[in-house]
Amino acid sequence: MPLPLTHDDPVALGPYRLIARLGSGGMGTVYAARSAGGRTVALKTMHAAIAADQAARTRFRLEVDAARVIGGEFGARVMDADPLAPTPWLATEYVLGPPLDEAVEASGPLPEEAVRALGASLCAALGRLHGSEVVHRDLKPSNILVTAYGPKLIDFGIARAIGDDRLTRVGAAVGTPAFMSPEQATGQDHDAAGDVFALAGVLVFAATGRAPFGHGQTQDLLYRVRYGDPDLSGVPTGLVPILVQCLDKNPFRRPTTAALAARLHDGTGHFADHLPDALLAEIARRATEVWHITPQRLPAPSPLNASDAPPPAVMSRRRLLLAGSGLTVAAVAAGAGAWVWSRRPTSAPTPPLVGPSNSVLPTKDLDSIWQRQISDSAYDHPAEPLVVRGLVSVSTGSGLAGIDATTGDVRWTTGKYEPPWIVATDGERIVRLAEGADEEEDKAGGPPLTLVTLDPATGNAAEPFAGFTDLNGAMLYDQLLCTADGVAYVAAGRGKSDVYFRASQSWFLLAVDIGSGKRLWTVPLPSREDGSERLYFLTARVVGRHLVALRETNEGKIRIVVHDTGTGAVRWEKPLDGLSPDRLRQPLAADTRNLYLGTGRLQALRLSDGSRVWDSSTGRPDRTYGLPAVKDGVVYAVEKGLGLVAVDADSGRVTWEEKGGGGAKADLTAAPVIGTDHAYSRRSSDLWAIDLSSRTPTRSYRTTGDRFVAHEKAEVTLALGGKFLAAFPLE
Amino acid sequence: MTGRMRKQRQIGPYTVVTRLDSRNTAPGAAPPEHRFIARSPDGDRTVLVSTPLATTDTQRFMAEAEAARYLVGPWILPTAELAAPGDRPWHARPYRPALPLPTALSVYGGTLPERTVRALGVALAETLAVLHGQQLTHAGICPAAVLLAADGPRRTCYGAVRAAAPDGTPRHEAPGLDAGSLPPEQAAGGRPRPMGDVYALGATLAYAATGHTAPAREELPPTLRSIVPRCLARDPAYRPQLIELIDALADQGAAPADSRTRAEALLVPGWLPAPVVAALAHQSAAVLSAEVQPPPQPRAAAFAVPQPGH
Repeated sequence: MPLPLTHDDPVALGPYRLIARLGSGGMGTVYAARSAGGRTVALKTMHAAIAADQAARTRFRLEVDAARVIGGEFGARVMDADPLAPTPWLATEYVLGPPLDEAVEASGPLPEEAVRALGASLCAALGRLHGSEVVHRDLKPSNILVTAYGPKLIDFGIARAIGDDRLTRVGAAVGTPAFMSPEQATGQDHDAAGDVFALAGVLVFAATGRAPFGHGQTQDLLYRVRYGDPDLSGVPTGLVPILVQCLDKNPFRRPTTAALAARLHDGTGHFADHLPDALLAEIARRATEVWHITPQRLPAPSPLNASDAPPPAVMSRRRLLLAGSGLTVAAVAAGAGAWVWSRRPTSAPTPPLVGPSNSVLPTKDLDSIWQRQISDSAYDHPAEPLVVRGLVSVSTGSGLAGIDATTGDVRWTTGKYEPPWIVATDGERIVRLAEGADEEEDKAGGPPLTLVTLDPATGNAAEPFAGFTDLNGAMLYDQLLCTADGVAYVAAGRGKSDVYFRASQSWFLLAVDIGSGKRLWTVPLPSREDGSERLYFLTARVVGRHLVALRETNEGKIRIVVHDTGTGAVRWEKPLDGLSPDRLRQPLAADTRNLYLGTGRLQALRLSDGSRVWDSSTGRPDRTYGLPAVKDGVVYAVEKGLGLVAVDADSGRVTWEEKGGGGAKADLTAAPVIGTDHAYSRRSSDLWAIDLSSRTPTRSYRTTGDRFVAHEKAEVTLALGGKFLAAFPLE
Repeated sequence: MTGRMRKQRQIGPYTVVTRLDSRNTAPGAAPPEHRFIARSPDGDRTVLVSTPLATTDTQRFMAEAEAARYLVGPWILPTAELAAPGDRPWHARPYRPALPLPTALSVYGGTLPERTVRALGVALAETLAVLHGQQLTHAGICPAAVLLAADGPRRTCYGAVRAAAPDGTPRHEAPGLDAGSLPPEQAAGGRPRPMGDVYALGATLAYAATGHTAPAREELPPTLRSIVPRCLARDPAYRPQLIELIDALADQGAAPADSRTRAEALLVPGWLPAPVVAALAHQSAAVLSAEVQPPPQPRAAAFAVPQPGH
C-alpha cells in the first residue's frame, strides 16, 4: 500500500511530481509519481550516494536498457528515464498486481493450472530477454508482479558484464541464494539456462510457498543449491518431472524456455482464467486502491532525544556483559536487487499466522508495541539486533539502522550500500570492522583491516581507531566476535581474498584495544581447507577474563574454546558433539561461574576449566532442551513436549515446570527471554509470556520473529524474523 | 485510450480521458446520460462525469443530480460536484474502476454466472431498502445504471425516470430510458414509487442472467426463477418486497454470524468472473497511464502595455 512521502523526499524528478512512496530498499526508493497530464507512474530511483559510484550508475543504466528490451507485455513499460541525473530515475507504468511472494503469502500456494500459466508466460518473458542477449540473473518471486494479463518481470538489477570489483569480490552473494543457479553459486557464467533453473525455483515456490533449496544461512543455502537435491514435496505430480529437468545441475540438460513453455501450458484461455479467486481479488483490490492515493508528505521528525540521553551513572558490570553478547557474522545483504516494488506499510504488516488456540490463555493474539520492516525479503538474514543504549541497531537492506527501542522510530540509518555490516557492541558504542582505503591498487594482500566506532546517537563513523596492513580487510570471512571492556575481538585473515577460504591464507584471532588501537595479542587459528566456506566462529562473548567462543572445525565439528582475555592463551577447549552449527549461532548463556549449553541435553560447564558441573542426562535422561537463558542463579530452557523449565544454576536441579499444558508446542530454537516477572518463549507463531511466580502462561503475542533479545533499558523484548523487527513487553 | 494528439473535450474544469460506456452498446443497454472519465487540471483528481443527453431537460437533470448529493447507504456513488447554475450541466464524483453491467456481459462473453447475479441482486436490494426507508425512489435502475466495481455494485443514474419526463407525461417514448427496465406505471406517466424500483431491479437481474430484460421463466437460473418474474408483475401490488428478494437470493439460513451484511457475505473473492476482474484492472491501468492536455491557462500579460499619451 502506498505510504506518504517523507520530509526529505524530492518534490519532483524530471517531469514527474512525486505523490507517494511505494517502498524503499538498499539501493533506492520507488515512488508513485504524476506527470503534468495526470499520468501516474512508478518511479524508481537510485540513492544519490550510491549513484556516486560509477559502477552502480552503470548498473542502473543497464537496468533501464533491460526494462526497455522486455517492453510492456512482459515487463513494466518504460515511460521515461534519466540514468545521468544526480538521483538516477526510471519511470514505468504503474503495474497493478502483487509481487509473487506477496501473492503466495496472502492467497496461499497457487493451484497447478495457475503455476502452469505463470510458468508459460515467464518462459515467454525470458525468451524475449534472451532473444536480445540479456540474461535476467535475479529471477525471484519478489521480482515478478502478477497482473490479470500475465506476469511482469521487474528489477534487472544485475545484468551481466559489469566490472564492479565489489560485486566480483562478494560474487557468490550477488543475486538471491534461494533462487540462484548452481553455476551462479559457484561464480561461473550464468546464462539463459541459469534463468531456466531460477524459473523452476520460482515455480516450486508458487506451487508450495517454499523455495526448492529452503532458506537460511547463505553459505548453507549455496551449498544446497550446488550439491543438494531440490525439495519438491507438495509440488503437483504432473509438474515434478518438468521441474526436475529444469533444476538439473548441468545447464546443458535443462530445457529451453520455448520447450518448457510447451510442456507447461497449451496456451488456451486468458491468463486471468487460470488464477485463483483470492489472487484475482487482490489484483482487483490493488487496481482500486491506487485511486485512493492522495499526495501527502510527512513532517520532519522531531530531534533525537532517547539516544542523546546520558548513560545511566551506574551500570552493573553484569549488565554490560549481558548486553555485549551480540556476535554478528557477516550478514550478506541481498546484493543489487535490493529495491522493493510495492510493500505494505510498516504499520500494517502482513498479519502473521495465528497460532492454534489454547484455552489456557486469558489474553491472546496481542499485537506488538511496534513493528518495523527491516528487510526486503524473508530470505535475507539480518544479523542479530544489537542493544546499544536506548536503541536497537540492526543491519537492513539500507545499511545499519538505529531504532529507538521504546517507540520503534528510526533515529538514523547509515543509508550506504555497503554490505556486509560486521558490527558488535558493548551496549554503549558500536564497533565496525571494515576494509581500509587501498593505497596501492590491486595489492595482493588486499586493503588493510580497520576498526571504527560508530556514534550511537547518529550512526556516523569516526576515523578508524585501528588499522592493520598485514591483515586483509576484504576477506569475506573476517569476523568481529564481540567487544567488551574496551577491547574488540576479531578473526581476520592474511593473504589474497577469494570467495572461499584458501589454504594459502593464514588466519588469526586478535584482541584490539578500542582506546589506543593497539593489538593486545594475536593468536593463530588452524588453517582452513581450500574451498571451505565455514566461518570460524558461531558465537562468542566475554565473561570476566574469559573469551568464550564456539568454533567450527574444518570437518564441521564444533569446539568450545575459551581464551584468556589478557593473553589470548587457550584456557581450555573441548568438543561439543552432535549439534548443528545453524542452531548455535545465537548468544551464549553464561554467568560468572558457568557456561550453560542446551540444544539436546542441558549442561553447565565451569568457566575456569571446562569441567562438567551438572548435566540433565543424569536427572532427566532422554529429555531434549532448547537454548538456555540464565538470570539470577536460575537457568531457563524449553524442554521438548513440556514447556519452560527452571533449573538451579549451581545444582542442575529442576525447580519448577511450566503449568497449563500449553508447553507442548514450545519452540526449541530460540532461547527464552527473561524479564523481571515473566519469561518470554516462542510457540509456533506466537510469543508467550509465562508468569514466573504462577508458572503459567498469561499472554500471547503474534510474532513472525524467530530470534528474541531482551532490551532491559527500554523494557522490551525484541523479536527479529521474517522481514520484521518488533518489540513486545519485557515485564 | 490515451489519445494525446486528439483535441480533448472539456467538461467544466475537467478534461475527458475516455467515455465510460462503449459507444456501440445495443439499444436498451445505453445509459440515460453521457458518462466520462475525466481529469482535473492539476492532474491529481480523476472523476466520473455525467452530462445529460441532448434531449433531456437540463433543469430536471440537475435537480436529480443535486438530490443525489444526499444519498446514503451502501453501494452508491453520490454526486460530489455540480456545474454552477447557468453553466452547461454536468455532475461528477471521484473515479473508481467500474464497468457498466452491459460492458461486463460483453467482456465476459455472455450472461453472468448465477453467483454474480445473486450477489448483485442482494446488494442492490440492500441499497434500495435504505433508500426506500427514507421515502425516496431511485427511478432509474436499468442495466447500464448498475456499475460493477471490485468490491460490489454501484447504483447510479438516480432519478433518470423523473428527469426524462415530468410526472403525468407518458414516458414510453422518453429518450434514454430503457423500455425493458421501465415499470409500466412509470411508462404511463405515473409518479415513480418504490415498487417501481423492484420492477426495474428484476429486469436488471434478468438482463444479467439472460442477456435481456424480459426472459422466459426457464431461461432464468434456479434461484431467480420464481422471484424475478414476480418483480416483473405489471401490477405493483403483486411485486415482492425487497426483503423477499434478499431472502430468495442470499445464502440460505440466517444472516451471517459476523457483522457482515448478507450482500457482503456474497461479495467475497470470486464473486466477479475472472474476465471482468481483468477488465477492471485493464481500465484502471489505462486511466492511470492516460495523459491529458490540461486546458490552456489564461495567460497574464507579460508586459504592461504603455498607455498612449503617457
